[in-house]
Amino acid sequence: MEHSPVTTNPLIIMLINMTVVFIVLVALIYLIKLIHFVDPTKEKPKPEVAEEEPLVAVKSESTTLPPAPVVEEGISPEVIAVISAAVAAYGFSGQVKAVQILNHEGTPWRASAKFNNLQRK
Amino acid sequence: MEALNAFSVSLQAVWNDSGFSAFTMGNGIMILVGLLLLYMAFVKEFEPLLLGPIAFGCILANFPNTGFFGEEMNVMKAINYGITYEIFPPLIFLGIGAMTDFSPLLARPSTLLLGAAAQIGVFVALGGAMLVGFNVHEAAAIGIIGGADGPTSIYLSTKLAPHLLGAIAVAAYSYMSLVPLIQPPIMKLMTTQAEREIVMKELRQVTKFERVVFPIVSTIFISLLLPPIAALLGCLMLGNLFRESGVTDRLSDTAQNALINIVTIFLGTGTGMTMSAESFLRTDTLLIIGLGLVAFMGGTAGGLLFGKLMCKFTGGAINPLIGSAGVSAVPMAARVSQLVGMKSKPGNYLLMHAMGPNVAGVIGTAVAAGTMLAMLK
Repeated sequence: MEHSPVTTNPLIIMLINMTVVFIVLVALIYLIKLIHFVDPTKEKPKPEVAEEEPLVAVKSESTTLPPAPVVEEGISPEVIAVISAAVAAYGFSGQVKAVQILNHEGTPWRASAKFNNLQRK
Repeated sequence: MEALNAFSVSLQAVWNDSGFSAFTMGNGIMILVGLLLLYMAFVKEFEPLLLGPIAFGCILANFPNTGFFGEEMNVMKAINYGITYEIFPPLIFLGIGAMTDFSPLLARPSTLLLGAAAQIGVFVALGGAMLVGFNVHEAAAIGIIGGADGPTSIYLSTKLAPHLLGAIAVAAYSYMSLVPLIQPPIMKLMTTQAEREIVMKELRQVTKFERVVFPIVSTIFISLLLPPIAALLGCLMLGNLFRESGVTDRLSDTAQNALINIVTIFLGTGTGMTMSAESFLRTDTLLIIGLGLVAFMGGTAGGLLFGKLMCKFTGGAINPLIGSAGVSAVPMAARVSQLVGMKSKPGNYLLMHAMGPNVAGVIGTAVAAGTMLAMLK
């Protein structure tokens, strides 16, 4: 198929093309912002909350029972039970001493990056 | 005596119909090239999924008297139609869309600019190609190698310079596999240690609404603006919609596994079939391979320079290393950003940040291809 180009000057082709590419992608930036703006499912910004409570140690009231694990606030007893069961299933005896979230900002991407690094080691 | 005569005539007929009778030195060289590419694909693991079928197609294309491209229909001719009529590249994009997570881009849309900046490599190579004597259509097809996007390179060269398809595809896929070797020295050369150590802020959560609406809205916008790439972009976004809708898991699974695998075999083999001795053994091929490298290096440098600019304007919030991921090569280029960043500061995870410019590069390359098609028609 033979074309008759508008111009054959490489500099002009570059200038026109780069301008169009930037305009289209900048327009996409604003489209993405618009989608975020009209998103009815987005979380409303949370009101300021009081300073977070420090880690709470759940003390055992009875000397006959094993000491309860130190649990970070926000972790449900069901999660503790699942972790304890998983630890036991791997053959470790004894009691879970403490449970806390090490990575508060974890995302699947972060996990993927860590996994990628582990694979290379 | 008659039997001997018949035997002799038959033997001569078999010889005349065989490939050996018409075998040329060029065919021999191209079969060696095919074997070298097979070695690179299967032993060195340079993009084996595509380079493997390309290499084997190259070997097949150089057997004389096969009738692959004769009057009668046959499987190789049918595969070739998939390339000639631009069927395979959009189908590959369908699978890529189904495999791509646009969340990093939606969480930080400004990284689209890095995908745009990295397209400079395309036009540096275009200028270089015209300087060494290619016409504007050939130069545009060669330049798009710098977009580091195989399907778009094949798509554009089929439309603008079909006779260069084999060399362009081999250069594009070879350099894409060499991204981990080509990019790091440029990244280190163009950034300071302090810049490489920048830890970027965690990305916000992207809602399902955003992930579903984006492919629809961007398809409408880009296809209306640049109709020549509606098939490419439309398939990319349709695949992504299958992934994100949450109700088309079977279609998403087919697009990102069975379909893309089947089309990859056909696309690779068909591209290899264009590498006959007559079309490949020319000085142009060496020039294209050289210009492809210039395009890749230019794209990497363009992305990094814009990354540095964004770093300055955001008060150090952007690590310039993610700029190099603006050349497509998904997800290889993003991984390279991650590795170089991690070497500079262990524990600095740039992968999710680099995926934004990386997928922006796919869109940017398609837009650049569409603009060139619109201009050069």
